[in-house]
Amino acid sequence: MIASRTFRAATLALATCGSLAAGVAAVDTPGGAGAPAPSAQAATAPQFQIVAMRRVSEAQYRNSIADIFGPDVRVAGRFEPVVRPVHELIASGAREASISPAGLEQFDAMARGVAAQVFDEAHRSQFAGCQPADATKADTDCAAKVLAPLGRLLFRRPLTGAERLFYVKLAGDAAGPTGSYYKGLELSLSAMLDSPNFLYVVETAEPDPASPGGLRLDNYTRATRLGMMLWNSTPNEALLQAAEQGKLTDDAALAVIAGKMVNSPRFEQGLRAFFADMLLFEKFDELAKDPVIYPYFNQDVAKALPEQTLRTITAHLLGRGGDYRALFTTPNTFMTRALGPLYQVPVHKSAGWEPYQFAAGDDRAGLLGQAGFLSIYSHSGRSSPTLRGRAIRELLMCQPVPNPPGNVNFTAVQDVHNKATPTARSRLSAHSADEVCAGCHKITDPVGLSLERFDGIGAFRAAENDAAIDSSGILDGLHFEGAAGLGKTLASSPDTTQCVSSRALQYATGLGSEDVSPWVEALDKQFAASGYGIRALFLKVATMPETWQVKAAPLDQGATKISYAGQRR
Amino acid sequence: MIRAAATTVALAALLAIGPMTGGRQPLASPAQGEAAPAKLPAPPANGEMGFVVSYFIQPVIQGPDACPQGTSPKLRDAYLAKQTPEEHARLALKENEAELTRRWQTDSFGPGGTNICSQPDLFPDRPELRLVQSKFSWGLDLDGDSPNHTSGGHANKADSCEHDSFQTPTGDQGIDNQEYRVMGCTLEWRGVDGVAGDQEIGMRQFHASGEWTQVILLRGVNSLVRDDNVEVIYANTPDRPAADSAGKFLPGSSFSVSDRAPRNRNVLHGRIAGGVLTTDPQDILLTQTWGQGGARDIRGNRSKYDFRKGRMRLTFQPDGSLTGMLGGYRPVFDVIQSPAIGGAGSAVVAGIDCAAELSTLRKYADGIRDPRTGKCTGVSSAIRIQAVPAFVNDVTNVRTAAR
Repeated sequence: MIASRTFRAATLALATCGSLAAGVAAVDTPGGAGAPAPSAQAATAPQFQIVAMRRVSEAQYRNSIADIFGPDVRVAGRFEPVVRPVHELIASGAREASISPAGLEQFDAMARGVAAQVFDEAHRSQFAGCQPADATKADTDCAAKVLAPLGRLLFRRPLTGAERLFYVKLAGDAAGPTGSYYKGLELSLSAMLDSPNFLYVVETAEPDPASPGGLRLDNYTRATRLGMMLWNSTPNEALLQAAEQGKLTDDAALAVIAGKMVNSPRFEQGLRAFFADMLLFEKFDELAKDPVIYPYFNQDVAKALPEQTLRTITAHLLGRGGDYRALFTTPNTFMTRALGPLYQVPVHKSAGWEPYQFAAGDDRAGLLGQAGFLSIYSHSGRSSPTLRGRAIRELLMCQPVPNPPGNVNFTAVQDVHNKATPTARSRLSAHSADEVCAGCHKITDPVGLSLERFDGIGAFRAAENDAAIDSSGILDGLHFEGAAGLGKTLASSPDTTQCVSSRALQYATGLGSEDVSPWVEALDKQFAASGYGIRALFLKVATMPETWQVKAAPLDQGATKISYAGQRR
Repeated sequence: MIRAAATTVALAALLAIGPMTGGRQPLASPAQGEAAPAKLPAPPANGEMGFVVSYFIQPVIQGPDACPQGTSPKLRDAYLAKQTPEEHARLALKENEAELTRRWQTDSFGPGGTNICSQPDLFPDRPELRLVQSKFSWGLDLDGDSPNHTSGGHANKADSCEHDSFQTPTGDQGIDNQEYRVMGCTLEWRGVDGVAGDQEIGMRQFHASGEWTQVILLRGVNSLVRDDNVEVIYANTPDRPAADSAGKFLPGSSFSVSDRAPRNRNVLHGRIAGGVLTTDPQDILLTQTWGQGGARDIRGNRSKYDFRKGRMRLTFQPDGSLTGMLGGYRPVFDVIQSPAIGGAGSAVVAGIDCAAELSTLRKYADGIRDPRTGKCTGVSSAIRIQAVPAFVNDVTNVRTAAR
């Protein structure tokens, strides 16, 4: 089965996480903020152990700020990206992501900007639940009433006593020199936003009653994981309350809560994030095409391409409750005025998106017929059956393809004006005459060549260099024609549904494909039983015990002791 | 009576204007008189064909025979010309350039802050512009006086005034284009390099900016070989066209006809014969916007392209595009609308003698006869049009037949 064949991944790199926590700890220590050293309490409470730290993504950061403080609080700055492990999700890379000094400077600038907005005159009344006796001086009691609730939302759990004391004291210490109670709150809030407890999802575990000696994720960690997995944002008040009441370790209550979450409109935000991760949407950030070769490509098109794909996915899977496999065959998508010329189709609305359905028999069937996929898996000046075939194998079927050796001679495939090899098929045929190359190209090219009727930006073409394009393809021994044929073949392949099942598990847990592979087959069967509904898949992932089990040992507590991250309940 | 230009066979005409081939408008470019393309695209099943106008400029035929004396004098030169020979010689000296500039510029202003471009009627007795001397012009036979009239509609000599006709470089006779006759030797039209004038450069910029994007929507097209009943919507759209890195409009874009002022929607009746679409004469209004940052409108002053008895003659091209001409009679003041809006700046910076232009246009007016005075108040005009295929969304609720 595919699980044993493909789901290979690096083991959990907890040591990395441990050193990360220590590295970031300096920011969160009172010493780092210029305050007296904290009491060295409660770093090692045995009931709760840190088992993972996952850096929040840019979207999760922005969504969290918007959910906690409101959408009018702007987040301005550049986010240090989380590095994607080879053949894995960024969600998995988040478990190993560090923050460089430069990246931390950016986070600090963003934190100060957010905090300044939260406590400016226009916003402070929303968050300051009490009025200070004198707005020019510190007010410990009032500051505690303001900061403790905010800290709970930002750290996704109640503040510890030490944390509460620290942030209140920080606000008081700053109020004196600045002569402003609110400036004190501002500084304290920015320190919270700089904390690893906010920038990372700190996952903690507790003893698992069902598995003596084993661990399971605790309630607050579950709340955060549910929020991030299903809504791509921080847990809301209802989730935090459920965690506080211990409902998230109750299977029945967990199923009810998760069920509500996957049926919420906010699940679309979570699903978008999942597919953006699964389909490597970060590639759109660096998408560039030669404007002379591709006059129909411009910045408006580049901006619209990922959105078109995501709208297609969410409208099909959520709006119509469609079968996941039909994503590869659906004629339904969305258009804007920017995309209309590329597709050569009419667009009625002058602004915004409108639904569009390709005619029966059109080769633009499914995600693989969309310009988004076709353009990011092409070169800047030519299409690439190899890149497309590889992407299909790796992203949609979870079948890693080896990188080419460093000494490959690409002359034959790059010579697009050679009349002897006018089409990509003929050029790749010449290239694959080299036995060193042939091995991998046999895996990718017969798949990708079926998309050759779409050029490097996904525009239709019937010929290349005046030579008719042969769009026949082969996938795992099955012969087909064009993008539509490829879509049908993929839709009928068990690898595609197993792949998305595996990715959903990896996305939820942050584990690698190898780690989740034992659970994939069973999950895929339940996915099939649901009619391959995406809500059912994520609901199952959110409620299966394996999602909440802790397979690895806790992080090195020695590394986290000095951090407030270690000062747990 | 109307004097027809001498007939000349097309080949002789081509030879005579040989030097023009280096110009912006090569003789091979599609225009009136061009043969129907050998291979026409099939009309779509629903009979609708949309286009966005990608080129909309008065055609200028370059070459030494059009303006053998050079371009029409600017205000500076006109001022010098009316001086005594001695004074002319003195002012022409380089050391007296400042005095000359001060004097000719002062001469372009009148009492009460008036100037020669904003109030051209206050500046009588200006010298006549140099007219185009060549017998060639692009355009349409608007009054139907050619022996093989093909420009659409019926002859309407009664509405016209006495004028000479041109012939096209491709041999079509009876071409009416008095606007070109009068303005064709101005520097703005002809340019200093014999390739293209300010007019062409400016019009390209205005057109590409989306300020006055035009679309054409054909309905009821059953055949590109022969179809006697085609509805032609010729309208403005607020949508800016997408263009490639060279500024060429991209075929296949979508546009919406706006029914909000100052956009315009002209509904014309046309017929197709041999791959050529010709519309019946009808008044046509289109948006035009002049300049940026005008005194009364920060986005430039808006006016209208007003083609009386306007008509189109467009040829379907194998690549799906349309090429051809828009013709009609324009009120004479419309021709100088741009420098008139520019006011004193047009005079003292560009040296344009708006009063001379207006008086010359009036003298050679050949259309829009004023029933009260019997005088013609408009000039025949031609605009070269190219249009690329587009998806045109017509207004959903048409409130009037033509706006």
